[in-house]
Amino acid sequence: MSDIFNILLLQNTLRTATPVVLCALGCLMTDQVGIMNIGVDGMMLMGAFFAVLGSYLFSSWLMGLVFAVVLGILLGLFYYVFSIRFKSDEFIIGVALNILAGGLTVFLLRTLFGVKGSFSGPGIVPLPTLTLPGIRDIPVLGPILSGNTLLVYVSWLLVLLCWLFLYKTPIGFHLRASGEAPEALRASGKSPERMKRLASVLCGILATVSGAHLSLGYLTMFSENMSASRGYVAVACVIFGGGNPPRVFLAALMFGFIDALGMRLQKYISSDLTSMAPYVVTVVMMVAVVLLRRRKQAARERLSA
Amino acid sequence: MNAGMIQSVRTLLSLKPKQKLTAQYLFSLLIAVTLAFLVGAGIMLLCGYDPVACYAALFKGALGKPRAFGNTLAKTVTLCLTGLSMSLAAKAGIFNVGGEGQLYLGGLAAAVVGARMNGSPAWLIVICSLLAAMAAGGAYAWLPGVLKVKLKVNEVVTTILLNSAAIYFCSYMANGPLQTAERGIESGTDAIASAAWFTPLVRLSNLTTGVFYAAVITLLVWYVMSRSTVGFEMKMTGTNERFARYGGIRADSLALWGMVLSGMICGIVGLLEVFGLHHRFITTISSEFYFDGMLVAMIMRYQPLGVILMSFFFAILNIGSSAMELSAGISSEVMLIVQSVIIFFMAAEGGISDEVRQKAAARRVRRAARKAAKEAGV
Amino acid sequence: MSGETPIVRFEHVTMQFPGVLANDDVSLDIRKGEVFALVGENGAGKSTLMNLLYGLQKPTLGTIAIKGQKTSARHDPQRAMAMGVGMVHQHFKLVPSFTVAQNIALGMEPKLRGLFYDQRRINREVLALGERFGLPVQPEDVVGELSVGLQQRVEILKALHRGADVLILDEPTAVLTPHETDELFDVIRKIVAEQGMTVLLITHKLGEVMKLSDRVGVMRRGRLLGILDTEKTNERELAAMMVGRDVIFDELREGEPGADEVLTVRGLKASDDRGLPAVKGVDITVHRGEIVGVCGVEGNGQTELTECIMGMRPQTGGTVTLNGMDVSRLSPREIRAMGVSWIPEDRLHTGLSVKATVTENLLVGKQRRPEFSRFGIHYRKRNAQRYAEKIAAEFDIRSGGLELPVGSLSGGNMQKTILAREFSFDSPVLVISQPTRGVDIGAIEFIHEKILEKRNAGCAILLVSADLDELFRLSDRLLTLYEGQITGRFDAGEISKQDIGYYMTGGRQKGAREA
Repeated sequence: MSDIFNILLLQNTLRTATPVVLCALGCLMTDQVGIMNIGVDGMMLMGAFFAVLGSYLFSSWLMGLVFAVVLGILLGLFYYVFSIRFKSDEFIIGVALNILAGGLTVFLLRTLFGVKGSFSGPGIVPLPTLTLPGIRDIPVLGPILSGNTLLVYVSWLLVLLCWLFLYKTPIGFHLRASGEAPEALRASGKSPERMKRLASVLCGILATVSGAHLSLGYLTMFSENMSASRGYVAVACVIFGGGNPPRVFLAALMFGFIDALGMRLQKYISSDLTSMAPYVVTVVMMVAVVLLRRRKQAARERLSA
Repeated sequence: MNAGMIQSVRTLLSLKPKQKLTAQYLFSLLIAVTLAFLVGAGIMLLCGYDPVACYAALFKGALGKPRAFGNTLAKTVTLCLTGLSMSLAAKAGIFNVGGEGQLYLGGLAAAVVGARMNGSPAWLIVICSLLAAMAAGGAYAWLPGVLKVKLKVNEVVTTILLNSAAIYFCSYMANGPLQTAERGIESGTDAIASAAWFTPLVRLSNLTTGVFYAAVITLLVWYVMSRSTVGFEMKMTGTNERFARYGGIRADSLALWGMVLSGMICGIVGLLEVFGLHHRFITTISSEFYFDGMLVAMIMRYQPLGVILMSFFFAILNIGSSAMELSAGISSEVMLIVQSVIIFFMAAEGGISDEVRQKAAARRVRRAARKAAKEAGV
Repeated sequence: MSGETPIVRFEHVTMQFPGVLANDDVSLDIRKGEVFALVGENGAGKSTLMNLLYGLQKPTLGTIAIKGQKTSARHDPQRAMAMGVGMVHQHFKLVPSFTVAQNIALGMEPKLRGLFYDQRRINREVLALGERFGLPVQPEDVVGELSVGLQQRVEILKALHRGADVLILDEPTAVLTPHETDELFDVIRKIVAEQGMTVLLITHKLGEVMKLSDRVGVMRRGRLLGILDTEKTNERELAAMMVGRDVIFDELREGEPGADEVLTVRGLKASDDRGLPAVKGVDITVHRGEIVGVCGVEGNGQTELTECIMGMRPQTGGTVTLNGMDVSRLSPREIRAMGVSWIPEDRLHTGLSVKATVTENLLVGKQRRPEFSRFGIHYRKRNAQRYAEKIAAEFDIRSGGLELPVGSLSGGNMQKTILAREFSFDSPVLVISQPTRGVDIGAIEFIHEKILEKRNAGCAILLVSADLDELFRLSDRLLTLYEGQITGRFDAGEISKQDIGYYMTGGRQKGAREA
């Protein structure tokens, strides 16, 4: 038992959960303006590739991140132009983006690097690992909290920043208004379209950076289909979290936990079954949320009848 | 300003109501395809390949030899069925993105039944396997369907997640409990009874008698969607579920049936792969077949005739791209990029043509008003 | 008064939309400190004119000047507000999950340290603002949970907070109870008298025009027909101008209701979408050949009541019986089969499928009949089209073509489509909700005629409406509904339009609750 449930498990939980956390925060942004961006999985995949590209070309993890951020801005704008300005079905655009991501990354993998399947090597500079001096020595929690790669800590910071942004700044209010009552915002003289564009861009950046964590922080390589539907899990986390950054964070952590647990259990159970588990659990989670909300609703009805 | 002037402004601007012409949509499609091919050519040039040579290799590779043509037709069948599967559910207002998983499970079920029935007459094996495939695919689609209909759980997310679950599950089965004892087969189940194998129609190609089953299904789906009363009710359910319910249509039931039928068709696609090609279930039975079909369905706005025609075109792109890679050298994924460009433009077609029309109308109004003002000497 | 610059001036303003001339060479001066009412039917152009003033549209021709200054070519709501014009829309532009203060400050939030939202300051400011204008509010109340009257108050404060001295009110009393309406009028009089506010009132309710305004402008088909001093005119004259002929507001019923009880509702209870009780024990009986009118301001449970009867909403208590049979738990399909048709109040989301064709919308409910479905399998499209043409002609539905999406029709024609479909079932029971809301007078008369035809033919009709003229014109009996309960039961002629308001707003008739 202690073979499985140990510090390593919790450490892995954080590492696996982080891309989902980052991506889910991005989805949260667009969700607040009334868009469900299914294309984040593709954005994550492309972010992973371009981060590796940047790191490899410039021998610097910082450039890898820069590449990912720039790509994120472009993808966010692209998504905005097509789904808002041209009024395309956001589902179609999202799925098409995912297909484009798959095709583009494999194409570039083969054309630029001349390899199939995956690309790894000494030329790629991974994200730095940060050891926090005082915290490291705390028993039990110490090794979990310290010694993670950069983006893990960034993701925690971002959860806080997102919450502050959405609920404590005027722009955050405008953003939420553009999703909930765009005409009210328009009548106040602000453009809901501009807010949606902002949300799209923020989502793009967060999604691509989450991919950067996959390819530069989690492992140091890019492999085909690296995102493994984590983008969809991020969407499910946002549905589960209901617009609340801390709750979305918890949902993502739970996914990370199940995923990490599955990996530890691979010694005893077939890897296929353990890989299956997180997805099944996410679906169960989604259903549980809906059932709980219904029960609350029914209870409220009974009280006021 | 007088009444007469205003009247002339009025007559100048009597615009007819907006009519959604399919001709306009097809024209936009033509433009989109051309644009996409240009983008592809651009990528080819950037990577140092000759676009003309590449595209020539593409079309030759898909249509040139009988074997290639056979493969293209076989691919058309797969795309057509998966595309229709998606369209049928979409008509009822429910998005089945889980066809891939339903395909896998259907193929697995068909393979298991087909292997176990060794010794029975061929027609019996096929029928039983068909039922098994339809049951597996249908049941696996029923689950997210009922979650959506009864609990309003978003079916896009659930079906995608369930896809992964199903694929892993089938992999587990094919590598574990159901793994064949035959030598040389890595991850696969036992071979199905040889009596039941579909006969190939064109030598060395993937085209088998399975195509006739596919044709029947295509015809049925087209009929249901465009000519049947059930199709009418599905359309009402898909366009406004509340209205359908209010009007006395069993909206919930129809949406669920749309989903289940869609899953059944995917299951049959899995069966076709097993019975026609591999003769057993293998873990690589499908490489995103359903997603390709989904693309076709989305581009052709879930219209059955459009899906059928576009499947052929996309099959050419698909088969041709591998041939293109072999002869011209460029990675076949470039055609995936071309395909996604087509989707983007067709998805945006409504918005783009609206903007174009609005700007043209506004320009006309301004011009007419200025003309009228000038006439009155204002 | 003359010689003073008008606070708002419209000069030869024309607004052309594709196919519709919404404003036709309108010239109008608004004086500072007056209450000016702009009346006209739907589509007369009054809302459009105000939208031009507020910068939501740009006029095709003509100029608008606010306080002597012409509006720029890039005039928009923000600029209008800067120039002192505020608008309170008919459909409130509020964010339901934000508080009162957050809504009022939307777009001009005070900042703390340049980045954060200074909540405390805006709460203080809003509290003071409310007291100053006699419109007290609690800044931290969540707007979505407020009553409609209070929500409107927030809308008004929003405009005042931005320093408006010209206030445009677009159909402000459409959603208010008579009591809230009186309160609003007091507020308007107060801000005009004490703060020197100028008020532009868009309305079609002539009674209110007479009570509140100093001058009235009548619009018809985009043209301004004339401006009158309110004290020198009367409702009848205004109505005649609005419609272009004498409008007769009398009753057209003939024949007596039958004795058989067809539709009975007993002790019906239901909750709204939020789970709060909306219908709290309602008893209704409708006889053959009778129209029972349910009067009430929208939001008092009418929607939930009709949805329950039709099977679209589960009841939490009570029964619905049809000809003696309990239909409480049946689905809409089954209830239709028992002979009930419903014209819902929500045209776009319940009554029609906007994307489907007119033919299809007309056919729904009959698609399984043998003439439209061979063996229940094949859809007989040509028969469907022929049938659609027939009833479209019968109900005067004007469209660009029956195979076009029904969403391309005008509001009145969409309503006629719903009517045509529901009336052609020849159901013995009809439930009709808000049949003529937002419909032109010509179409209103047509629809009323059709309803009376059905009544005279023996249908049992439950008519739910917020329009007292309509209810008094058509109903044999009147019930008043307030906060989910029946507060009064009257025969036609037993009560007047003026007096019934008391029961619509909380007054109770003894024993009215139970039938």
